[in-house]
Amino acid sequence: MIARLQLRRPCAVLCVLLIALAHASPAHAYLKFGVRVDSRMVDAKWSALPVRYFINDSPVPGVGPQQFREAVDRAFRTWQDVPGATVAFEFAGFTGAEPLDEDGANTLGFLSRPDLDRVLASTTFTFDSRSGTLLEADIFFNSDFPWSTAEGGEIDRYDVQSIALHETGHLLGLGHSALGETELRPGGGRRVIAAGAVMFPIAFSAGNIEGRTLQADDVAGVSDIYPTGSFRSDTGSIQGTIAKNGEGLFGAHVVAFNPRTGALVGNFALDDDGSFVIAGLTPGPYILRVEPLDDGDVESFFDRSDLDLEFAVTFHDRIVVVPRGGTSSRIGIAVRPR
Amino acid sequence: MRWSTLIPLVLVLSSVPARATVLVPADLAELTRDAQAIVHGRVIAVESQWSEGRRRSIETLVTLQVEDHLKGQFGSEVTFRVPGGQLGPYRTIMPGAPVFGERDEVIVFLAWRGPSVPWLVGLGQGVYRVTTSADGMRHVRPGVPLSRTGIPQPVVRGAAGGALDLRAFETAVQTLASRGAR
Repeated sequence: MIARLQLRRPCAVLCVLLIALAHASPAHAYLKFGVRVDSRMVDAKWSALPVRYFINDSPVPGVGPQQFREAVDRAFRTWQDVPGATVAFEFAGFTGAEPLDEDGANTLGFLSRPDLDRVLASTTFTFDSRSGTLLEADIFFNSDFPWSTAEGGEIDRYDVQSIALHETGHLLGLGHSALGETELRPGGGRRVIAAGAVMFPIAFSAGNIEGRTLQADDVAGVSDIYPTGSFRSDTGSIQGTIAKNGEGLFGAHVVAFNPRTGALVGNFALDDDGSFVIAGLTPGPYILRVEPLDDGDVESFFDRSDLDLEFAVTFHDRIVVVPRGGTSSRIGIAVRPR
Repeated sequence: MRWSTLIPLVLVLSSVPARATVLVPADLAELTRDAQAIVHGRVIAVESQWSEGRRRSIETLVTLQVEDHLKGQFGSEVTFRVPGGQLGPYRTIMPGAPVFGERDEVIVFLAWRGPSVPWLVGLGQGVYRVTTSADGMRHVRPGVPLSRTGIPQPVVRGAAGGALDLRAFETAVQTLASRGAR
């Protein structure tokens, strides 16, 4: 359903946003991992719960195996406590096996990987590509960085729990969220200005423990993959297509803004025809904006790099109303080449 | 995204600190400094294998036909490795690890230790894709802007160019390499 309220000028949209964002709440935006099996995409999703996991028994300075396990458990519990989702984990024991070894066991632990020199932590999946069955997922924490499990964090040390929370999101099948912004520092490197999701892929600061808390963005994502019985009937979705010069625009980032709640909600056009779906939305009105990913790390979002980023940020010229338990009528947005 | 003047403001006012995990970001100067070799070339082979040593995981060897060396010397071909790949029915994925196909034209920032197969500096950050536009101009992606202003410079979606001219990019890299070459 598309309401007839039409915003004639971009500044009007911005004014609405400015007012509404004063009450901004975290955003829903998420990308699900998938693997292509024949011609279909299969979600990286655990078919049987709880997910059993092992903890590698190697310590790093400042963090022993038991401390590591407790921090990881707290991260797991954070995901388990999401009311709209049905995920569960089970500790299977300590092990001498290393993460990233493909041995059929889900293993978390520290490891030195010089070839992953700027990766704090990472999750790997192994699939049987014939069936799309997820066989194993490991999470490695790079032992070349300083780590901490201190309750209040430690200066210049990365917080195991925060990073485990992000990686566990991957373990559950969530991809990266694009709801964040960075800036180039004059001395080199990038810094996050703002992030609206634990699943935002880049930037962090040692000593920061704020990443221990999920945002609604992340909550919507995990609920969409492992929904409780009422999740879908309580929420709605927006669907449509993004086009440039009359052709579908794969990879365009679509953000929905709810002026009533202040929520930012987003996803990507995930087909070559430019179609997108943003699910898990609180029913109500939304303003849609389409934008390219920034310079960054396109391959942190997609396993293809041929995205067309040469288009201008574009607002849909109408308010879209999301019904409870349903989907908006199909929306078409044409973006202008830059 | 570029509601950026609004969103950061609100997030700051709401006392919601920035956060994220996974990648330690690097700019072009850092990548250039940390790379032992920077190579422009075209992918001529992609092959997955079990990793060497006691670790048992799937990795992919990518071989380039070298067109140009921007830092260091590697001969006419160079092979580097990236995590993940497919062996028989088993496919391993590491989100954030770049995926290559034959004939891809790339500039890669490589490092290694001792007699080992090189790897990408900063994983996906160490790969720039070269594309040719309809007018025959060659560009690189991602179009990472260089911070030249001396002040923090926001990365603005939809504002700065998504691609850089290949020659300008190569000149910038070579200049950075000459300043900080090891």
